[in-house]
Amino acid sequence: MISTFFKHELKAFWRSKNTGKNLAIRIIMAVLILYLFLNMLVVGFFMDTVLKKVFPHDALIFSFCGIILIYYLSELFSRLQLQELPTLRVQPYLQLPIKRNSIVGYLALTALFSVFNLWPIILFFPFIFKVILHDAGGLVALAFIISILGISIFNNYLALYIKRKSNLNGWIFLIVAAVLVLIGLSDFMWHIISIRNISYLFFGNLINHPVLALVPVLLGAGMYYLNFLYLKQNLYLEELSTKKEKYKSSTEFPILNSFGATGDLVANEIKLILRNKRPRSALIMSLFFLLYGLIFYANPGMKNSDAPRVFVGMFMTGFFIINYGQFMYSWQASHFDGLMVSKISFTNFLKGKYLLFTTVSTLAFILTTPYVYFGWRILMIHFVMYLWNLGVTANIVLYFANRNAKRIDLSKGASFNWEGVGATQLMLSFLLLLPPFVIYVPLKFLGYPNLAFALMAAIGVIGVFTRSYWIKTLEADFYQRKFTITEGFRNK
Amino acid sequence: MIQIKDLKKVYSGVIVVNIPQLEIQKGESIGLVGNNGAGKTTLFRTILDLIRPEAGEVLSNNEPVAGHENWKNYTASYLDEGFLIDYLTPEEYFYFIGGLHQQTRVHVDDFLAGYADFFNGEILKKGKYIRDLSKGNQTKVGITSCLLQQPEFLMLDEPFANIDPTTQFRLKNILKEVNKKGMTTLVSSHDLNHITDVCDRILLMEKGKIIKDMATNSSTLAELEQYFAIGDVTAPKVSAEPIVDKEENH
Repeated sequence: MISTFFKHELKAFWRSKNTGKNLAIRIIMAVLILYLFLNMLVVGFFMDTVLKKVFPHDALIFSFCGIILIYYLSELFSRLQLQELPTLRVQPYLQLPIKRNSIVGYLALTALFSVFNLWPIILFFPFIFKVILHDAGGLVALAFIISILGISIFNNYLALYIKRKSNLNGWIFLIVAAVLVLIGLSDFMWHIISIRNISYLFFGNLINHPVLALVPVLLGAGMYYLNFLYLKQNLYLEELSTKKEKYKSSTEFPILNSFGATGDLVANEIKLILRNKRPRSALIMSLFFLLYGLIFYANPGMKNSDAPRVFVGMFMTGFFIINYGQFMYSWQASHFDGLMVSKISFTNFLKGKYLLFTTVSTLAFILTTPYVYFGWRILMIHFVMYLWNLGVTANIVLYFANRNAKRIDLSKGASFNWEGVGATQLMLSFLLLLPPFVIYVPLKFLGYPNLAFALMAAIGVIGVFTRSYWIKTLEADFYQRKFTITEGFRNK
Repeated sequence: MIQIKDLKKVYSGVIVVNIPQLEIQKGESIGLVGNNGAGKTTLFRTILDLIRPEAGEVLSNNEPVAGHENWKNYTASYLDEGFLIDYLTPEEYFYFIGGLHQQTRVHVDDFLAGYADFFNGEILKKGKYIRDLSKGNQTKVGITSCLLQQPEFLMLDEPFANIDPTTQFRLKNILKEVNKKGMTTLVSSHDLNHITDVCDRILLMEKGKIIKDMATNSSTLAELEQYFAIGDVTAPKVSAEPIVDKEENH
């Protein structure tokens, strides 16, 4: 039975719409994964050299044993955020004459097919073969291998168990995350405990008593069994998938009322962003990117160069336009038909987009004003890039929106979600980042950097004041492609 | 009201809609019937300018729907959940649609108060987004938002599907009532009883063509039942030969 499930799963993967019909994305993803993989492999292979550099005063095996637990704690933390729960896919099998045990067993087993379970093998095994096998013999090496596999399995199921629990109650996730952060802080900041010593306590003893390797195995098996039981008791669709029902209240944005129909559209879009997972993470990302400046501005090496400021300024004031705008109008794919037959003129629809961009960018610009601490010039550059984003970036983004006909499922998270990503998006990000430098770099080398900023500001302002022209052009362009877009959005 | 001329839509070599001539007069109530794949929804979508026909055109009030937006002012339609903004609460959605037609919130509230029975207490003030409603309740939201717009022309694709029997009867009365007030309606359905009850004129579609266009009278239901009952042999023959239907097998 489990092999049938597995076959279905493979088919689901290869036949899913997102499994890159698009070759370019597939290649880029493969290269990225390969790159990460190679990095890990290199770190794993030269672990002994790295450890000697970082902890020059400690014995090699001691420092190796010390870092294992640290690794697993941070792994747990990232698993909690990134690892996906294998859940809803069982839905079609629940009512068929299939034993619950095999469904649950399958669910619990497939949870092992996660990249996370590969990292510790790549990272730690080379060291075990290179050093431990050589120093302590085959039995100890075997004990290490078994322990590491055991802890990985334990970690795997612990993360899933916590995730399942926190699906029912969001506080659990926050509490666990806080505990993990506190553990980290109490070692590295407050020096109350030493994770390295605790880690060594186990792995150090493992060298003398290889039998101890059974402990992680038992832990892993126990955690698996706990998951198995929990799943079996809760194998009901609503309990596995939905979160707690909360009363959803209607909201209003009185300020937007003065904008008429355009304001209504923007109000709807703001609700779209706040009430759906993926656009919400796009917004949160843009808030995070407001800290981007700290990396560059606090770096003494870049103190007096303007080039990174152009880049950073553009990103901070325009990240929302770029990140959210690149998937326009896919966000509205699920109700695009409704929008098309409603009494909404496309002009107003476009005006709504501009209004949204302007609002968020202005907000972002205001939030970046504290960077004035690093000098007034930075504020000036931010303002120039803010104008540029409103006058140029917004137009380019909307031009490409007309060329995007990929549906997006709003309810799915943003991390590692390639749904709706196509060549258009890749080209777009390139096209957005290039033009400011085309203006800035030549003028800078000719010795007129300020002229470059004046020029960019002017172009931005012109772009803002000629918006009605752009709206007309974009509208005519949209009607050329309307049917392709509506058709694409209907394709689930 | 609506004129269709030489309309043709082809999907991967198969003609799914092929209507040389069809006219819908103002104030008519039209029922569209036909088996799955007959082209009903495709016809709806072409009338709403959501798909581009390979040939021909649809005129609404003597103006092509393609490339024009005037028809949106007096046409309301609900084909599927894709017409609803699912992350809004029903109230927010109604206010939004009302706002597009320059209706104040008070006006919308007044209008909705008249639909309390229709909603059966399951739509308003329940603290749910439209996406959390059942399919039947979503249909109710869609139909009501159409009526809220007080359109001259109303299009509903299978409105009787998914809703409970009580609501079906209420919907029938509502449709009759708005039609009496002069609203042109185009409704598709698989329920022959309902459709002959509500509509004055029935269009029967098969493989993209309108093969029957008849005014409803006492014998219409029987006629439709006879058409749809093909292959249904009252005394099942025990025979190795498959039953080949002439009409299906041209």
